[in-house]
Amino acid sequence: MQEVFRNAAYGFMSVVAGTSKIESRQNRLIELQATDRENLLVRWLTEILYLYDAEKFLTSDVKFETLTDTLLKANLLGEPYDVSKHELKLDVKAITYHQLKVEDHDGDWIARVFVDI
Amino acid sequence: MSITQLDEYRYLIPKSFRNGMKVEGLIYASKELIGAIERDETLKQVANVATLPGLVGRSLAMPDAHQGYGFAIGGVAAADLEKGVVSAGGVGFDINCGVRLLASDYSLEEVKQKVDSLLNQMFCDIPCGTGKSGILKISFEQLDKVLLDGAHWAVENGYGTPDDLEHIEENGRMVNADPNEVSKRAKQRGRDQLGTLGSGNHFVEIQYITEVFDEEAAKAFGLRLNQIVVMIHSGSRGLGHQVCTDYLEVMQEAMPKYNIKVVDRQLACVPIKSKEGQSYLKAMAAAANFAFANRQMMSHWTRKVFERVIGSGSLRLVYDVAHNIAKEEEHRINGRNVKVLVHRKGATRAFPKHHRDVPRDYFEIGQPVLIPGSMGTCSYVLVGTERAMSETFGSACHGAGRAMSRHAAKKDISAEQLIHQLREKGIHIRGASKSGLTEEKPEAYKDVSAVVDVVHYAGIARKVAKMVPIGVMKG
Repeated sequence: MQEVFRNAAYGFMSVVAGTSKIESRQNRLIELQATDRENLLVRWLTEILYLYDAEKFLTSDVKFETLTDTLLKANLLGEPYDVSKHELKLDVKAITYHQLKVEDHDGDWIARVFVDI
Repeated sequence: MSITQLDEYRYLIPKSFRNGMKVEGLIYASKELIGAIERDETLKQVANVATLPGLVGRSLAMPDAHQGYGFAIGGVAAADLEKGVVSAGGVGFDINCGVRLLASDYSLEEVKQKVDSLLNQMFCDIPCGTGKSGILKISFEQLDKVLLDGAHWAVENGYGTPDDLEHIEENGRMVNADPNEVSKRAKQRGRDQLGTLGSGNHFVEIQYITEVFDEEAAKAFGLRLNQIVVMIHSGSRGLGHQVCTDYLEVMQEAMPKYNIKVVDRQLACVPIKSKEGQSYLKAMAAAANFAFANRQMMSHWTRKVFERVIGSGSLRLVYDVAHNIAKEEEHRINGRNVKVLVHRKGATRAFPKHHRDVPRDYFEIGQPVLIPGSMGTCSYVLVGTERAMSETFGSACHGAGRAMSRHAAKKDISAEQLIHQLREKGIHIRGASKSGLTEEKPEAYKDVSAVVDVVHYAGIARKVAKMVPIGVMKG
């Protein structure tokens, strides 16, 4: 499940910015509670979107402390947007619940999330 | 279960289409457009909306309808004020995304040679594109004033004139706005973005009028053949997006308390009269005011550019319409007046003549309905009708409507090819991002003329004038 949430974060960042030049120079602590796994994934990506849109913080990696179906505590690593170094690709409006799924098939995970652009 | 064609432009979704539909669905489309609508999830989404508690009339979709998140884009749904629900998804993430039209005193010949200079200057003076901050740095206290007063705040701070306010839906200020219902996070996202165009399908276009269909209405709106006009399409930016995100969560959490179950999580809703419902409507109104102020500021800068480049910045505001909004309105249903909350998601208010919310100088004509086309095609001015009042809660379409995903649109053309193609057609273009341009290529959208013909012949709005772009600035 950590891999799913980490890859979702990578996937999201690759939509909004070129990810190759983001360095892990700073961190942001995220603590979330949710009603279920799907809700947690939306809230997780919503946090990363918020940090990007409000603070221009670009995420490069994630260190999880706690991750259950309804609880998440993690450190986001990354750095603030630097116009001379980073490329911004797309404005994302929001993370949606449209056709959302987070499924565990005997250890093989499939997650799908749509972002509104 | 299939849909039933009622006449040339109306298709009914019967209650038997899916379990739980409380009202019927109705799609406005031609034989050609209904095909596109049937290909994605639009019909299913219109039927899903029809399962919400307390809806009155029908769950409607305009001819530009396409699949959205929960609600279809191009959808209209009205809920009884006492018994109905409000849904943040029924307005969408870009609260009060909308369009305004400014009319110049110039004709095409006088401006044609200066389009490049106008675009270059606009590109310098109006912040646009991904991640772009505004010129203005405002405090949270000032932002609260923007959220309370909308375009009035902008005019009081030197962006435009009091005359402009008469020609904005709600006069540019939704009076029920309460900044205290907007989260700190939404304010944090929006504070730097006031006075920015954004990206995606948002634009400023210099257009000229190629056809007048209704001389009387055009004259009332101050429009004539060959006249240069400017169209601005933008919304409430990150602030509005966050308000919707916040209240989707609030509504999901509150639903069990009100014993509400929805068939799609994106349809989360609460009773209009509930504490959560009222909080959302106050926050939504605040975000709508942010968008009104935003478009007002960009109009001011556009006027300054015209003044600097061609000598006169006289650009009269024809009208400004919201196309993502929920509003309390009174409508006549089954012979009696009923107060309802009308959700318009990708739909435009289209009130007829003699309606009290139509500006004084358009009172004998009706409200202008502004329909932007896709980049490089054409746009329209229409006018609201009585028939819209009796059938669509005074609503019409909002644009061309996407026919191709952004990803698919980028596949077979480069930005350079697209710029060249448009230049051959006499359209100059400036875009903040190359991929942003190709995503918005004309073929990615339905034919706006076909969409407008449906609302015109169905009688829910009437064609007044057609415009073609000569200069496009994309975010």
